[in-house]
Amino acid sequence: MSLTLERIEALAPDQASLAAARKLLKPSTWPTLAGGDGLVWGECQGSGATPYRVVVSEADAGYKCTCPSRKFPCKHALALMWMRVEKSVAFVPATVPEWVKDWLSRRRGSSAPAKTEDEAEPKPRPSIRYAAIPEAEESTDPKVEQRAAAARERNRLEREAAVQAGLEDLDTWMSDQVQRGMANFVAQTAQACRTIAQRLVDAKASGLAGRLDALTTRLFTLPEPARPTAAIRELGQIHLISQAYRRTPELPSLLSSDTRQAVGWSITREALLSDPDVLRVDAHWRVFAVISEAQPDRLRRVETWLSCEGIAEGTPQYAVLIDFVPVSTVAAVGGYLSGDRIIAELAFYPSTIPLRAHITNLNGGAEQSRDAIALPQQTLADSYGRYERALAQLPWLSTFPLCFRSAHVRRCGEQLYLHDEESRLSLPLHNSQNTQAVPLASVGQIDGIGLWNGYEFTLAWAETQLGRWLRS
Amino acid sequence: MNWSTLYAKAIPSLLAGTSKRPLPDDLIPTSDANSFAEMALLSLTGQGLRFERPPGPESFVIEPDIKDERKIIADGLRRPLIRLLTAKGTTEHPARALARAFDRLRLRPHPFDLPLIDAFVRSHAERLGPTAQHWADRQKPEAQTQSYFDPEVLDESSWAQAAVSRRVAYMERRRREDADSARALLESTWAQDEPEARFRLLQALQAGLSASDQPFLSTLEKDRAPRVRALASRYLARLGSGGENPALRECLERIKQGESGVLRKRKALQLELPANVKDQAAWRWVRETFVDVSISELAAALGVNDEQLIEAAGKDEPLLLSLALTTTNDRRLDLLEVVVKHLPNCWERMFESGLDTLGMMTDSERERWQEIIARPYGKDLPTNYYAWDWLHKIAGVAAPASVMSMVLQTKLLANLPERERGGAPWLEVMAAVCPATQRQELRGELSDFDPSQSVNALALVDILDGMEKERTHV
Repeated sequence: MSLTLERIEALAPDQASLAAARKLLKPSTWPTLAGGDGLVWGECQGSGATPYRVVVSEADAGYKCTCPSRKFPCKHALALMWMRVEKSVAFVPATVPEWVKDWLSRRRGSSAPAKTEDEAEPKPRPSIRYAAIPEAEESTDPKVEQRAAAARERNRLEREAAVQAGLEDLDTWMSDQVQRGMANFVAQTAQACRTIAQRLVDAKASGLAGRLDALTTRLFTLPEPARPTAAIRELGQIHLISQAYRRTPELPSLLSSDTRQAVGWSITREALLSDPDVLRVDAHWRVFAVISEAQPDRLRRVETWLSCEGIAEGTPQYAVLIDFVPVSTVAAVGGYLSGDRIIAELAFYPSTIPLRAHITNLNGGAEQSRDAIALPQQTLADSYGRYERALAQLPWLSTFPLCFRSAHVRRCGEQLYLHDEESRLSLPLHNSQNTQAVPLASVGQIDGIGLWNGYEFTLAWAETQLGRWLRS
Repeated sequence: MNWSTLYAKAIPSLLAGTSKRPLPDDLIPTSDANSFAEMALLSLTGQGLRFERPPGPESFVIEPDIKDERKIIADGLRRPLIRLLTAKGTTEHPARALARAFDRLRLRPHPFDLPLIDAFVRSHAERLGPTAQHWADRQKPEAQTQSYFDPEVLDESSWAQAAVSRRVAYMERRRREDADSARALLESTWAQDEPEARFRLLQALQAGLSASDQPFLSTLEKDRAPRVRALASRYLARLGSGGENPALRECLERIKQGESGVLRKRKALQLELPANVKDQAAWRWVRETFVDVSISELAAALGVNDEQLIEAAGKDEPLLLSLALTTTNDRRLDLLEVVVKHLPNCWERMFESGLDTLGMMTDSERERWQEIIARPYGKDLPTNYYAWDWLHKIAGVAAPASVMSMVLQTKLLANLPERERGGAPWLEVMAAVCPATQRQELRGELSDFDPSQSVNALALVDILDGMEKERTHV
């Protein structure tokens, strides 16, 4: 059964989805549109940090999209089908890319045939005809706008006051922990942190609350003897942020922005993109890691790490695109795969050490490349030195990319280390890699890149004599 | 104050708690001894700790040097291979076919992929080369591991280091060339081998079994492994030097002898099943009863030759099945061919009996064995998925071209009965058993199915073709 407009209407979950899909029919929204072997696929620049990847099987209208929508099919899949049927846009003939093949190998068989009209619940059928009616423009009454601005300011002031009160509570709690001692704290971390984290959530200091919530997990991934000193590091850092927040007017503007973000003041995508002063870098980028992690708040944090190719002096060498999707959705990883190459302009969130960014302009779609990653001539020790300098600038710096040349993966018991012979620097690899990275211990020198979180190194990419190794 | 002094003074108090162990006065003057100063010190110490470089271990493990002469699979095949072996709902068929191809083509998976296809590597390590075997053994204590050496050409000096399957094949070849020196070679390493290896190597002794093997076999009657002891006793009984084969006595007790024919009297045999063995259990009972008996032993005990024994079984289905099983076990495919003439549904009966090994058969014998049991079906090949599943599992090689031709000619996949559609992985099993020469034709048939059903089967034939192409280009 091939795709038709009637089929799209039958598939659409509601009229709103069709209306939303209609807005995506502009080719400019789609950096990539391609087809081959009975499939069509594309990349759609949505509100996420990374573009959504959509694929549709023409034979049975099977579909997959990396967006976090809970509507099936989502507006992106509907728009792709719609464009295909109307033939209003050219789909470039291409070989099926790896991410599409991955989907094909994992997809279930065709679902059961749709209920007949008699069996189905009577409901109004979405219609493309109605979706084509343009919506009335939103009114922009200046008085309404003024009232909204005043309300926003009132909310901001209320939140500032709530945060300050929350920080007072935090001080009291922290003082108790120091008096009881870190050895004692480690024994009851979960219980100790839960209450204060909840109080900070109520005080709208979600950044600090998140740090305290994650503290239990972080400590328990470490070997037992290392936990009390790690608790000193972590609680010391939280106290530092809370003190810095009270002094934001005295801090340089970028550090002040870092402090507010660490406490929980987020910068919206719209605010970032509309700010003419934010750092923007238009370059060729290589995806070197995609890390997906479920958070305690039932959101999945998907980090897409990029390395800049052809690094210009003074511009950030690395960037991370961060998406949050509900844990319950199937989008466990972002749209990009390690090895993808994109040409894009990124806007960086204001920071002393700019890493987090958002794509502002994509020049074409992502291309999977077998080329070796471009790495500067740095040893692991050189890179670690850069990390230390960055840490001096931003004391609560969390994850930082380290690239290296001529290092070795070495084993001691079950634990793997990334080892630099010359400086004798050994970084323990993340526990989750103690199986996957074992073969690297037998290949001699490697060049590569990974992420250091202050405790463990997540090896993301290695160029070896046996070819490329990628974290999976 | 430098970092080491701060560390030495502050850490003990921060760990124990400042209420139990107050911070030294020179860190916080008594006048400033308030909680804020303590917390400021906590931050400072915490930040100092963040600048400490992680302490590495004193020494590292030295990784073993594995000599793997096999060629690594082409880069372009790696991702499809991982995808196929880890695909949702994939069956064992692709894994078996791929393991065979790795072994036959002397290829190996990329070492970086071993953790990603761990289950496959553990199940088929012996066929994937020394690097994969080392990976599969990595949790074993050192004493149970081996040298991980898989030379291209085995000789007397290197044969003991190779994988068991190759050692067995080598031993069998040597037995045919010079039985005594082969046995001497086996004896020289016997004590170092694991029970499973001892059993399989002893099976190879079947080739060229003679009275000169008797002293060695006698020593095995005290072997620690019961399977080895049983097999040695059976060999000794066959050589006439051990006691009577108890399994043979049990079989003979169940075979009723009579005569048939009006003008020319012929011996007629009938297998009497125990009263408590009924229906499906009968075929299983037959296998279990006849597993340790050879057709020659049976014929000799009944006073006929092998062919006359088959003739005498006439139309007695259980007895014919027992003969099909013993001829299979003895690798007497010439006799199996005769049995199958009387028992055309031999394939399904052997499947129902639970036969689970073809023992020492070579690949070409396995192909011929399949051809023999499939031939009587003609165009009416079984449409029971489990019969094909069993055939693939037990044969361990691709189907013969003649069987596959019949599958393709009759469009078996497209014409499956309704009950067989959808659930069972028919497409995967056919892709796994299809010989290389017929893959293109099979691909055509597979393309008629929904892509979600054929994706694994098509991926398998593509990978197998890719592996073969790669090897021919070496």
